[in-house]
Amino acid sequence: MHEEIYEIKNYFQYYILRYSGVILILVLWQILPEVGLLDSQFIPPFSEVVVQLCELTLKSELMVHVAVSLWRVIMGLIIAAAAAIPLGLLLGGWLTRAADIVNPLFRIFSQVNPFSLMPIFILFFGIGEAAKLAVVAWVCLWPILYNTVSGVRRLDPVLIKTAMSMNTSKFEMLKKVVIPGAAPSIFLGLRIGVEMSFFMLISAEMIGATAGVGWLFHNSAMNNQIPRMYAAGVCIVILGIVLNRFLIYSQNKLFFWKGSTHVFSFAAWKKNVSGFSKIQLLFVVVVVSAVIAVGSYAAHVSKVSDINSNSSVQMKHMQMDKKEHDHMNMDKMDKNKTHDYMNMDK
Amino acid sequence: MKCKKDTFYKFLVVFIFIAVWEAASRLEIVNSLFIPPFSSVILALKDMFVSGNLAANAGISIERALTGFIISVVVGIPLGYLLGGWFSKVNLVAEPVIEIFSQINPFILFHVLILFSGIGEIPKIAVIAWTCTWPIMFNTVYGIKHMDYSVIKAGSGFGLEGWKLFWKVGMPSILPSVFVGIRISGGYSFFMLIAAEMMGASSGLGWLILNNQENYAIRNIFAAAIVIAFLGLFLDIIIQFVENKLLGHVSVS
Repeated sequence: MHEEIYEIKNYFQYYILRYSGVILILVLWQILPEVGLLDSQFIPPFSEVVVQLCELTLKSELMVHVAVSLWRVIMGLIIAAAAAIPLGLLLGGWLTRAADIVNPLFRIFSQVNPFSLMPIFILFFGIGEAAKLAVVAWVCLWPILYNTVSGVRRLDPVLIKTAMSMNTSKFEMLKKVVIPGAAPSIFLGLRIGVEMSFFMLISAEMIGATAGVGWLFHNSAMNNQIPRMYAAGVCIVILGIVLNRFLIYSQNKLFFWKGSTHVFSFAAWKKNVSGFSKIQLLFVVVVVSAVIAVGSYAAHVSKVSDINSNSSVQMKHMQMDKKEHDHMNMDKMDKNKTHDYMNMDK
Repeated sequence: MKCKKDTFYKFLVVFIFIAVWEAASRLEIVNSLFIPPFSSVILALKDMFVSGNLAANAGISIERALTGFIISVVVGIPLGYLLGGWFSKVNLVAEPVIEIFSQINPFILFHVLILFSGIGEIPKIAVIAWTCTWPIMFNTVYGIKHMDYSVIKAGSGFGLEGWKLFWKVGMPSILPSVFVGIRISGGYSFFMLIAAEMMGASSGLGWLILNNQENYAIRNIFAAAIVIAFLGLFLDIIIQFVENKLLGHVSVS
């Protein structure tokens, strides 16, 4: 199948064909509500959503919400990785028998639902950031741990024997053989962890938070601001795709000696034959640290304002909502709707 | 002999964990209000079971989870076959669409569906089915792309054609990776169920936890969490059992 893709020399034609399905769906989304086949109050046309998205980006702090959500994912991931990778190396490499014995207990733990733990996390950490970070870290922990253990166990025994015959110390063995050998598997665990935790984070933010894209979505849904809700939803989807693509891209870059294993052809589309260049690495570091800085600041501010002046913030939001035009329009539409229904009753 | 000893140790570790929990709580090393001793959790579990509260809610939850899970299996596997690479043009167009759909968070779907169908059973089951479909589909596609083509060639060399080739050779050679997807989905189904029930339901285990949280009945929260964990574990074990029965000939790593 891949050969056939390479055969299409005309990139423009290729991209048109490739994204024709997406374009079709977007066009349908635009047309169907306008024609009236779908209720435009429940599914506003795509253009309206885009306008709302632009408005949110410019006027309101969409980027801050995105940064807060990403900050939570990154921090949770760091906590989970700091706990799981050393433990996994230990269990996979040196205490294999212990790993077998502890396996049932860990299996029970990994089945413990983060949402059923949410009330208990809240009891311990309060409704602050820590409870959400704990949920994210808990979700990330198990895939990373399992993949680290299996990565270490499936190391090529020839490599280990070679290293042993060269009389390497244990530390050298860990540094030069075990960690590089298990790295692809560990990274796979990190990727699964990030994807799942992003999933979970959105719902955790919906259940109880004062910032983040999940909160934005939930808040608009609760206030019946349907276009804003869709805008937040589109934002979450885009964020998810970007995150996913970035992880696959960096997986291919980091472990370029392994064949790409993703099912979709975009992963195999361009063959990366080198690791990260210095500029790319710098860029990633800058973006991540910017997200951490903005996110931690915003999360802190939201927490403080939450404690100090919860009511005033809400008042501000209420006023903002009133100023927004489409909210007013929607009220009018609501009235029209009720009129329609009444007429129908008559 | 060694194997038997290991099983003993496995139970011992679980037992030690429970003992530490009990002791830490009784000796007030951790706040026993927040983490009640294990025995009292079991007592709460017994009370809930006797009152019929637990069984009813668990039944509803299991029904929802299984319905969603079965829908996802029924939808996911054929979808995976469709996208497996036999129709390359379809594949080319469908891949970006599927990529976007698989990133649509089930809770976005949940709220949108509530707009249409109200807070009934449909959004909850749809959330579970939606989440579980993707791992099954992706793993089916993966299985097809990494299939051993010499086996297919051997099959056709023996004169198998069409459906027979599919059932006798194609299906069994993909099944291991399909089961990887099914196991992942089984785990997801309970995750998603609980969250969906916490967000909007009046029955089920997720609602039970939320309700107990609002009543500060910490022991009941732990009891419900234990029940959920064991239901998830049970489902995982059943899937593994079926997998072993079906794929006895393949060494599952």
